[in-house]
Amino acid sequence: MRRIPSPGSTKPERRTTVDRQLIPRGVKRCSTGKFLLWILPWAALLAFGLYSAGLCLVKGLNQTNMDNRFAFGLWIFLDLTVIALGAGAFFTGFLLYILKLKELRAVINSAVVIGLVCYTGAVCVLAVDVGQPLRAWFTFWYPNVHSMLTEVTFCISCYLTVLAIEYVPIVLKNRKLRQVPSFLVFEFELHKLVYVLAGVGTFLSFFHQGSLGGLYGVLRGRPFAFREGFAVWPSTFFLFILSAAAVGPSFILLTTWLVEKISRKNLVRPEVFGLLGRISGLLLAVYVLAKTVDTLIWINRTSPEIGFPAAQYYSWQPFGTWILFAEIVLFGLVPALILLAPQLRARTGWLVAAAAMACAGVALNRFVMTVQTLALPTLSFDRYLSYFPSWQETGTFLAVVAFGVLVYSFSFRYFQLFPSERELKFGAAAVRER
Amino acid sequence: MLPWNYGFHLDAGHIVFLGAFYTVLVIVATTLVSAALRSRQDLRSRKLERIRWHSEFNDLPARDRACRHVLTGELESRECPHSFDCRECETHARLVEGHPVAAGEEEEIFGMSFPLDRLYHRGHTWVRPESDGTVTVGLDDLGSRLLGTPGQVALPPVGSQIEVNGTAFRVHKHGADVRVLSPVEGEVLEAGAPGAGWYLRVRPAASGEPAFRHLLRGAEVRPWLMRELERLQLTLTAEGAAPALADGGVPIADMSQAYPQADWDAVCGEMFLEG
Amino acid sequence: MIGPNKQIRAARYGMTIDVDRCTGCGACMVACAVENNVPPAHAGATDRNGITWIRVYKIDNGLPYPETRSAFIPVMCQHCGNETPCVHVCPQQAVDVDPATGVVGEMPQRCLGCRYCMAACPYHARYFNWWDPAWPKGMEKTLNPDVTPRMRGVVEKCNFCHGRWHAAKQQAAAEGKPDTEPVQYLPACAEACPIKAIQFGDLNDPAGAPARAAQSGGSFRLLEKLHTDPKIYYRSKRDWVRASANAPHPFAGQHEAGKENHRG
Repeated sequence: MRRIPSPGSTKPERRTTVDRQLIPRGVKRCSTGKFLLWILPWAALLAFGLYSAGLCLVKGLNQTNMDNRFAFGLWIFLDLTVIALGAGAFFTGFLLYILKLKELRAVINSAVVIGLVCYTGAVCVLAVDVGQPLRAWFTFWYPNVHSMLTEVTFCISCYLTVLAIEYVPIVLKNRKLRQVPSFLVFEFELHKLVYVLAGVGTFLSFFHQGSLGGLYGVLRGRPFAFREGFAVWPSTFFLFILSAAAVGPSFILLTTWLVEKISRKNLVRPEVFGLLGRISGLLLAVYVLAKTVDTLIWINRTSPEIGFPAAQYYSWQPFGTWILFAEIVLFGLVPALILLAPQLRARTGWLVAAAAMACAGVALNRFVMTVQTLALPTLSFDRYLSYFPSWQETGTFLAVVAFGVLVYSFSFRYFQLFPSERELKFGAAAVRER
Repeated sequence: MLPWNYGFHLDAGHIVFLGAFYTVLVIVATTLVSAALRSRQDLRSRKLERIRWHSEFNDLPARDRACRHVLTGELESRECPHSFDCRECETHARLVEGHPVAAGEEEEIFGMSFPLDRLYHRGHTWVRPESDGTVTVGLDDLGSRLLGTPGQVALPPVGSQIEVNGTAFRVHKHGADVRVLSPVEGEVLEAGAPGAGWYLRVRPAASGEPAFRHLLRGAEVRPWLMRELERLQLTLTAEGAAPALADGGVPIADMSQAYPQADWDAVCGEMFLEG
Repeated sequence: MIGPNKQIRAARYGMTIDVDRCTGCGACMVACAVENNVPPAHAGATDRNGITWIRVYKIDNGLPYPETRSAFIPVMCQHCGNETPCVHVCPQQAVDVDPATGVVGEMPQRCLGCRYCMAACPYHARYFNWWDPAWPKGMEKTLNPDVTPRMRGVVEKCNFCHGRWHAAKQQAAAEGKPDTEPVQYLPACAEACPIKAIQFGDLNDPAGAPARAAQSGGSFRLLEKLHTDPKIYYRSKRDWVRASANAPHPFAGQHEAGKENHRG
């Protein structure tokens, strides 16, 4: 191309920084300075977290408060939670690309970033959690296909790859990167095949969400966790899939709402919020029903049949029956009903509160399955133990939170996470005009 | 995992598990490789411009993708499925067969000059057939007013090929960096300048009506322009400019001067259909 | 491990522990640690993260003085024979049951340290190396050359003194005995017990002492109700001791006594 300066122009061209040039056209983002100010505390938290994780890697897991009884602790509990919350990525992809729910195009990019952040964080924490991270490849080399953990490892690593590939088009769509011809063309061609990735992602997510539940359900040596099931899968396999699918849209709703509040912008139409809430509510209701039936079968048959009356599990403080009530009713049934009631769903306050409660409910479920299972003794003369994470454990997990916020912040600033943001800006302008 | 590993044995569980795993790996790898191969193929067969436009067109809001027959009121609602290339559109062929576009009546629309001797592209360029069989390409009056006196123009070299809805040239102005869509396909014979009233002289790849079918003409121009002015007004409001463009008002010659506080890059991106 | 194609007479090694004789002296725990190169506890280690392949629990009948009675129950890996809980959970086949001996083996060289097996074990008999193993200067001379020390970040547990079994196999081979026959040997704990409360042998050998003891009255197994078929049998003439093995938790008045359990 030949560049000719126009003869008439005398005014100097307005200069723009690299930061400005990377921001998508037509959307408003805060100034570079303000953005750096926002980034700074999270970067500091990330640095602290990386230091904690480094201590655990260099000095060993004695830096944690886990022990031979509490073989799993904060990390596994939060990994399970984060992976359940990240299920929004696969489930939204499934609804959009397989079931053709076009409205969800408004949140799919954000969902992919959230999924990527959640899974990357979980996998990184797992790498610190295992005693010999350098042997992680052993699982692929000598897989025990009867172990739920093998399935989890295979599926999560495959799905993380899929998420990374799904993230590529979002990155390449960046205003500056798009100018590179091969990036532009690759993004276009990859996006045409995105339904394949969505399908594979659904398949993988289905199995690893399930296997994470199966992880506990198969523990016949831990009657608190053990469940009967179907074929090789205990009931927790299906419950985890259902609860993850139910809470995924809720978490997307929650994060989108948060981003809207923090950035002070309209990012998606209210109908999309409503749709996410409805999907979440519907699945949550099914989940609560299934969970109730499962719990009743477990209390009345599974557990007593192997000589453990279920009442004893709740005789140890602080985990009384209130935790069962909180998990199933307070943070299960209640948000499901709110999300299913059109009048309540229409009010942002109720919608967001219900979504947060649904997320809390699934987190509580993962907590119970991890911590309460391990706290309870099986030998009659053994002790009931408690556990509280060390600062190194907490710090390592905070690194994941900081990492997530940072990746999301940069993605939100430089990539088009919410395709309808610009349209909504126009909508607001049209309202102003009238 | 592999037959020579210690402890390897093959039972139903292994076959199902490893089979599924390898299938997933193959599918993911195939997807990546085929996307990469197709990209290479696209670049070799010079599809870059077409893909760029397709990609941008898909990102346009639905109302910006409206069919030209919706603008004229012939159709209730229709989204263009051909990325504004009516040459391949059967609906368009059928409609113009039944009702040929009426000749325009005026050269001045909303105070802007839209001469009837030329055809207009939805990206605010025009094509004027010359007597020697070539065509000249220029910015239409609204496009010129948006860009005013361009800061810098990047024109394609003489002898290069341009294609419909590909990049004709790039204009830099007041923080805005816009690519202008080409209304024709052909070889660039000569490059003009903003002062000359036209930018490119092109030998079209094909002649005759079908080759220019995608361009707006005659009575179509007015409803389209009305829509564009509405869009401009909305854009200006959205991009932080005071709504100075009252109904019936005429856009001034260099609009960017009138709205110094507006994000001119976003305004031009919107009006020139660049995402 | 003998290849599966070989015609072998499989052993089913097991133990009988006479709870009524156990005085809780802890000699078995010490002998076990010495035999298996378990390093001295790291500074800061507690009974919750130390390594004790065998651990003596103190239990009592929960009655107030003067009716209080107590007993000691040594608990190690119970070498479950039926759907061994830890075996099928291990993602990388680092745990297996040797078909020739029935011993549940842990391969520390292959262990990832995910600790899923520890969560799976109902007896809490698996231990994780939270610290790098370290011996005070000079003490490395006391290490058992037949047993590999384990590194930080892997799980370990009782393997019925695999080093001793191996030595016995080698000796049998040197004496020209066929290697398809089980060998007789004694794990360190059984050897160290001053009152011979621990009897060890092949449960498949009906004439062997443990097999006979296991069949006799007063014999019981811990958490038999889970149907994992453990190979450690306990014996007691006292009903409340036998009841404790399978009592739904908490056992009798164990709430208070449980807190004083000395573990290791």
